Amino acid sequence: MDVLLSGQLAFSVAVLGAVYAVVGLGLNLVYGTMRLLNVGHGELVMLGAYVAFWGFTLAGLSPLLGAPVAALLAALLGLALYGGLFRRMLEADGAGGRLEANSLLVFLGLSVVLQNASALAFTASPRAIRHLDEVIRVGGVAMTENRLAILLVAVAACAGTILLLRLGIHGLAIKALIDNRRAARIVGVDVDRTQRLSIALGFGLAGLAGALLAMIEQISPFMGFPYTVAAFVVIVLGGLGRLAGGVAAGFVLAAVQVYGVALTAPTYASVLLYGVFVAVLVLRPQGMAGARARP
Amino acid sequence: MRRMGPAALLALLAAAAAVPWLAGPYGVTVATSAAMWVALTVSWSLLGGTTAYISLGHVVFYGLGAYLVAATWGDVPLWLAILGAGGLAGAFALLVGLPVLRVKGPYFVILTLGLAELVKHLVLNLEAGLGASSRLLFGAPGGTTLYAGMLALAVLSIALAWWVRGSRLGRGLAAIREDETAAETVGVPIARFKVAAYALSAVVPGMVGGLAALRSTYFEPTQAFSPVVSFTIVTMAIVGGSGGVAGPLMGALLLFAASELLWASFPQVYLIGLGVLLVGFVLFVPRGLAGFLPGARP
Repeated sequence: MDVLLSGQLAFSVAVLGAVYAVVGLGLNLVYGTMRLLNVGHGELVMLGAYVAFWGFTLAGLSPLLGAPVAALLAALLGLALYGGLFRRMLEADGAGGRLEANSLLVFLGLSVVLQNASALAFTASPRAIRHLDEVIRVGGVAMTENRLAILLVAVAACAGTILLLRLGIHGLAIKALIDNRRAARIVGVDVDRTQRLSIALGFGLAGLAGALLAMIEQISPFMGFPYTVAAFVVIVLGGLGRLAGGVAAGFVLAAVQVYGVALTAPTYASVLLYGVFVAVLVLRPQGMAGARARP
Repeated sequence: MRRMGPAALLALLAAAAAVPWLAGPYGVTVATSAAMWVALTVSWSLLGGTTAYISLGHVVFYGLGAYLVAATWGDVPLWLAILGAGGLAGAFALLVGLPVLRVKGPYFVILTLGLAELVKHLVLNLEAGLGASSRLLFGAPGGTTLYAGMLALAVLSIALAWWVRGSRLGRGLAAIREDETAAETVGVPIARFKVAAYALSAVVPGMVGGLAALRSTYFEPTQAFSPVVSFTIVTMAIVGGSGGVAGPLMGALLLFAASELLWASFPQVYLIGLGVLLVGFVLFVPRGLAGFLPGARP
């Protein structure tokens, strides 16, 4: 019982929840604005982790500095995919048709390509780096420096993204697209530019999260899938397009996992993650419709 | 094609039935895998091939069937365990399909994404709790018997697909694919049809998993629930093309042949190739290989 009430677990929830929030925010932007079901979102996390790993191993670059690089590379990948594949799909999609199903199949294929290309290039064996792993104490809670850094950067990324969407004109355009595509186009939103911004931002956030995770998680070509699942929990639980709700959902998921594992055993971590995922979809399947039903 | 179809299928079946006499044990093993992929892909296409409700985790039924047969091995006659595997898979599909398929949209697809992983980790924990992390399956039937069973399941899946296609259910599913709201308006019981098709598409994979478990002398959950199986089924079905039996059949046989060439030595290259094919066919050949058949509607 003491363990459950300690600040130690609360800190774990904060770190994991902040990472989930960043990853989920990225998926929310891509799904919300374009209805692209990115089931390969976690592979961007994986790629970000490898960017941080190689930056650190080859050039001695701190993953904290590798994180912006990873975000930039992921954003460029998003822009390339948008220009090469998705713009055409979005324009060809007349009456809503099969865009969601098709985008999902395309992302499924891409995710398998990314996983196996990474396995070919980097081998499938897991890797890890040690960086900033000194333990410090803050108010009686012991934490490693890297976890504290992850928490701070992730919270800053969430806050920055949400502020951008609340305050800037581009953010307003993104929110408009999430709410109603057709109406947004009618009132003069530059749909193409807004979509490009969303995909760059969405992919970039996933890459950033991956680079941060490289400091504390094992890096492997197949590490991404749990983050895809977590991101969908964030969207469905938090509500589509409701970014702040999504951040809250990230912390709820993290709390279930951290406290659930504390009460049972570490082998239940995956059961808890996928269990929350299935439960959320079975109990709240309309969650992705967001605050307003879309026409 | 419409008239040539049955003749081509019968010729294929005759060739498949002759395999044990014409080919050695290795040939029978290969033919067993081919029949397995045909059964899985044709079953998947019952729902995924006709509607936007795509199951991304079909391995869950295969794995459940394998687990049931492994867990009851030696206690229950095999034929009964295989039938039970089909029943378990169908019941599980009903259970998870009922709440989610009532709702329109992509929720079902997203659910299937994580469902197989949940069941896999539940089985892993259950097995660890029982202290039976890998079960040995000694005394399994020989290669030819397994092949006969797998071929029978492939034929069953094709017969099921054929029957569904001509039935009220099949016409309802076609209407759902064209326009779900319109189908609902004219009185198609869309929720009931979607759930029924999902359950039907689960039964054969459950039995296939039960049989496939016997190809190895032990049962291991991470293999029985491997996401690669789900991904391969989806790719075979999409490459083959939907809307009938010919498409999934061709996709399964062609990609299986490619896997025989590549899988053993270059598994990652094979999977990259499958991923590229999946993306390419979705974007540029949405009707799949079946679209090139003579008699296919333009």
